[in-house]
Amino acid sequence: MSDYQQFLDERDKIDFLIQKGCQINSVREHLNGASVDFLHPNGNVTETLLIGTANGRKYFSSLLISQNQPKD
Amino acid sequence: MADLRINLAGIKSPNPFWLASAPPTNSGYQVQRAFEAGWGGAVWKTLGDPILNVTSRFAAISFNGQRVAGFNNIELITDRPLDVNLKEIYETKKKFPNHAIIASLMVEPKQEKWHEIVKRVEDVGVDGLELNFGCPHGMAERGMGSASGQVPALVERQTYWAKEVAKTPVIVKLTPNITDITATAEAACNGGADAISMINTINSLMGVDLDTWNTVPHVAGKGAHGGYCGPAVKPIALNMVAECARHPHINVPISGIGGISNWRDAVEFILMGATGVQVCTAAMHHGFRIVEDMIEGLNNYLDCKGIAAVSDIIGKSVPKYSDWGNLDLNYNIVAKINPEVCINCNKCHIACEDTSHQCIDMLTDANGKSYLKVREEDCVGCNLCSIVCPVDGAIDMIEAPRELAPMTWNERQAVLSVAAECKADIVK
Ligand SMILES: Cc1cc2nc3c(=O)[nH]c(=O)nc-3n(C[C@H](O)[C@H](O)[C@H](O)COP(=O)(O)O)c2cc1C
Ligand code: SF4
Ligand code: SF4
Repeated sequence: MSDYQQFLDERDKIDFLIQKGCQINSVREHLNGASVDFLHPNGNVTETLLIGTANGRKYFSSLLISQNQPKD
Repeated sequence: MADLRINLAGIKSPNPFWLASAPPTNSGYQVQRAFEAGWGGAVWKTLGDPILNVTSRFAAISFNGQRVAGFNNIELITDRPLDVNLKEIYETKKKFPNHAIIASLMVEPKQEKWHEIVKRVEDVGVDGLELNFGCPHGMAERGMGSASGQVPALVERQTYWAKEVAKTPVIVKLTPNITDITATAEAACNGGADAISMINTINSLMGVDLDTWNTVPHVAGKGAHGGYCGPAVKPIALNMVAECARHPHINVPISGIGGISNWRDAVEFILMGATGVQVCTAAMHHGFRIVEDMIEGLNNYLDCKGIAAVSDIIGKSVPKYSDWGNLDLNYNIVAKINPEVCINCNKCHIACEDTSHQCIDMLTDANGKSYLKVREEDCVGCNLCSIVCPVDGAIDMIEAPRELAPMTWNERQAVLSVAAECKADIVK
């Protein structure tokens, strides 16, 4: 799979969780990229995605920044 | 006609183009001819105890037909008696009162030595002094030049000694043979420098002769490292000027030196914070008259941009120079090949396929004609293909539509660590 395809795959998974109302709860960076924990809004369910591509890691970081920005 | 005059820490000259301290400023005859040709100032070949030179002294790299892409020397400071130089400085200043004459000085790191030479040189009416803490060869083996220029405490102390007696502005000329030039630039400021200039030459060995196994150049079969300058060093010099210009504790004017060959180079240095520029190699390569093109080019550039004075553009690019951590990670450009201009040499395809991201496809059109196309989604915008392409306009690097808001590495790390504080389980 090309880097780009892999990124699309990672982005789809992230978008799916965000659409379900999940928020990024914690991020662990390591040699294989980042493990991102998403917390479901109505409970303690946590789902973890391993994000390996550079664009994928830029993507969730951008989401985290907008998630942390105060909402009007 | 734009106003090309500059005032560097009180040293005034009719234009920003000075000859650097080097062979072109070795004598009154040369400096007077340079002023007649149009140079606004000259930093006299470094004065000090007259030295002995070896022969030969110079070597140059020609690169793909461009002669003197880089230049190397093992020449020392002046080999002429001080009194002879001073007499010629006096005569030159009398003939050209509106041109800047700066005396470059190098003596042992002793207070009385600095006091003596500063007083003697100022007596003949120079407009300023430049302390040479930069020569990387010969003089450095004797504790002068870059040997003292690499030690911030020595730079500060010697600047202070010169300033104790100097009545004219003191420029401190820095060596690039140091990891962080802002350390010595700051030391010069702490010593009271009125201005700094950079760069002197870079340690270098030009080559080895494959038949004789001698160094290039060699002196009776032996070589020693020299100082490198000319077009090849311009990016190194420009970065050093920019680093000093954006440093919060370095607030003196900068005289930019290193690989400046035409008005364009000069404008780049001025935009990056230099008040004026100095030139050596280009004058040695092409003669004094290159200054005519430099003046005309600078003047036309300013007129075209509607800018009244060269001093109005000093440092205009400095705010655009920052740390890597402040660059936008979400800004994207991609390569686009223009089939009408492309000559199908395949250089870009090979470069991308072998050493970048394998995203230039070789395709065939309906008529069986092959052409190249960038798969934009896989292109990382590295510029390599456009760098190796031999045809101007065959590859454009274009901005990709923005998909994500700007985000720098520093912003990213800040949000990750803030999140870590709120939720104890976020680990950097
Ligand atoms: C042959 C030669 C001799 C030089 N002698 C001196 C010198 O005596 N004092 C000095 O401060 N710099 C000296 N330099 C350095 C130049 O002034 C200048 O800093 C350097 O060459 C970079 O500028 P360029 O790339 O325009 O040549 C010398 C350079 C060359 C090539
Ligand atoms: S910019 Fe880089 S990645 Fe994009 S096509 Fe050119 S060489 Fe390949
Ligand atoms: S390097 Fe330039 S000219 Fe050569 S094939 Fe690529 S785009 Fe065409």
